[in-house]
Amino acid sequence: MCPLSAQNTPVLIIGGGVAGLTAALELDRRGLPSLLVDKGPRLGGQARGFCCKALVSCARCGACRVGDLLEQVARRPGIQVLTQALPVAAQRQGPGWEVTLIPQPAPEGSAPALAPALAMERPLAQRLVVQAGAVILAVGHQVFDPARKSRLGHGRVPGVISAGQLEQALAQGGLPGQARRIAFIQCVGSRDQVLGRLYCSRVCCGFALRLARLARHLAPESAVTFFHMDVQDYGQAWRAELAEMRADLRFIRAIPGQVRRGQEGPVVAYAGEGGQPQEEEFDLVVLATGLEPPTAAPAFNEMFGLQPGPEGFLAPGAGVLVAGTAAGPRSIAESIEHAALAAAQAGLHLAAGQPAPRGEVAHA
Amino acid sequence: MRLNDCDPGFKQEIAREPGGQGIQACFACAACTARCPVGELKPEYDPRRLLRLAVLGRREEVLASPLIWLCCSCQSCSEVCPQDVRCSDVLTAIKNLAARAGYAPPSGQAMARQLAAHGRLLTVGEFENEKRAELGLPPVSEEPADYQAILGAEAAAPRPAGEGA
Ligand SMILES: Cc1cc2nc3c(=O)[nH]c(=O)nc-3n(C[C@H](O)[C@H](O)[C@H](O)COP(=O)(O)OP(=O)(O)OC[C@H]3O[C@@H](n4cnc5c(N)ncnc54)[C@H](O)[C@@H]3O)c2cc1C
Ligand code: SF4
Ligand code: SF4
Repeated sequence: MCPLSAQNTPVLIIGGGVAGLTAALELDRRGLPSLLVDKGPRLGGQARGFCCKALVSCARCGACRVGDLLEQVARRPGIQVLTQALPVAAQRQGPGWEVTLIPQPAPEGSAPALAPALAMERPLAQRLVVQAGAVILAVGHQVFDPARKSRLGHGRVPGVISAGQLEQALAQGGLPGQARRIAFIQCVGSRDQVLGRLYCSRVCCGFALRLARLARHLAPESAVTFFHMDVQDYGQAWRAELAEMRADLRFIRAIPGQVRRGQEGPVVAYAGEGGQPQEEEFDLVVLATGLEPPTAAPAFNEMFGLQPGPEGFLAPGAGVLVAGTAAGPRSIAESIEHAALAAAQAGLHLAAGQPAPRGEVAHA
Repeated sequence: MRLNDCDPGFKQEIAREPGGQGIQACFACAACTARCPVGELKPEYDPRRLLRLAVLGRREEVLASPLIWLCCSCQSCSEVCPQDVRCSDVLTAIKNLAARAGYAPPSGQAMARQLAAHGRLLTVGEFENEKRAELGLPPVSEEPADYQAILGAEAAAPRPAGEGA
């Protein structure tokens, strides 16, 4: 329980996903205590529910980094954690901020107060005002709701699921049902002018292909088709993996026009090899949903007087830094790097007692 | 394909035509092809391929292609396109450029000539004029000079095929 109604901290970190956890650890490494708050009952963010995508050796998907970070944070006394704490107001206080947090009810079906995964997860009991020298916003992203792309059948055609749903199913034990003919459709909610989402979400090619390979591994008799425009490049090691995947999976360079209900499973309409329309039935269609700005972005812009960032994501301001996918689409590994940079900038801001530089970190 | 054979200004030329602006947003995803009813009947007809060739600047290849005239403007492609390209409007723009370059198909040219000469594609005979009289309307003649006056003799006369723009 937290009896305090006011508290001081050098840095207030809002959001306890991989980015928030990394920022706290990086500040701790520099001898700076921090207060890490999350509106939910658990730390770890969205990556907490991801499955390990290793076959025989590590697939470098980043899913296990969450567990490592949680363990490290639990061992650092300099990092204070408050869960079920929602920031609702902020006021400029010298070079820093005074932020008001209010308690959030525990979501139904969870019992965090009785069985916290780690002793550090402590729910906020009453309204709390925090004085912080700097604030790091690490509130993450929103996953695109695939039902908004209604012609792809999510929520309407049985057998059409999102990549997140497949992650969950695999993390809990296996492929849904007797899925043997599996299709992935890429760029759902990304690179789409009609939806006002012109950007590439950067991570979906990687996680979808790793999920595809894992599905083939779990059900060797399965066949996977990958509908895409182009595949993002994640560097040297990825290129070698990709060559293997190209040999093992069917790559079709076309985004389907429609998914409808078929006799047994969803039927996908797409441009066949010669450029003629074609239909094919699958058991499972997986939509690779993209990353959207955090839903709370407008609220934070107003609270901290921030200018909206690119594509509606968050941008830093005076005494406010942004880390992880709150600032734009990035992977777990990239979010970790980005958060370490934000922590370094927060350190500089505290040292200077004035707003941190906006662009690159200056040499200390 | 040699880059030297491509006309980099072709896509801008299309974009300047009414309805042609969308071509600049196309990233060749093929959602349009997937839903095209013409492609179901005529496998060689592939809207993504036509737009891609146009973006690459294959001017003559696109304008001379008999396939561009197969688009039936049903707008199925516009409905599915994530980039709001309005593919069938772009094809209309391409058809207009092709017609100006003298590539309109013979049937289309014949219709244009008929229209210019007679003001209509259907012939008007005694039957039609009897009906008009019953309705108290004046008779129309086979070759009214007013049509030429309205359309302008020059604009009405289609250029023969092969005579460049
Ligand atoms: C379907 C899918 C699959 C993916 N698979 C992979 C993969 O295999 N590998 C990979 O590297 N990346 C993957 N990613 C990307 C990965 O999810 C992100 O890189 C990562 O989660 C970003 O971490 P974060 O800490 O910035 O944000 P998040 O994980 O979103 O964490 C944000 C935290 O902030 C909290 N929060 C939000 N709003 C508030 C608020 N107002 N107040 C207080 N707290 C708040 C949330 O409760 C949450 O705990 C995937 C993404 C998607 C959509
Ligand atoms: S990462 Fe791949 S699937 Fe995701 S938006 Fe970019 S190109 Fe599309
Ligand atoms: S659907 Fe639109 S973006 Fe995709 S190929 Fe067709 S015209 Fe281009």
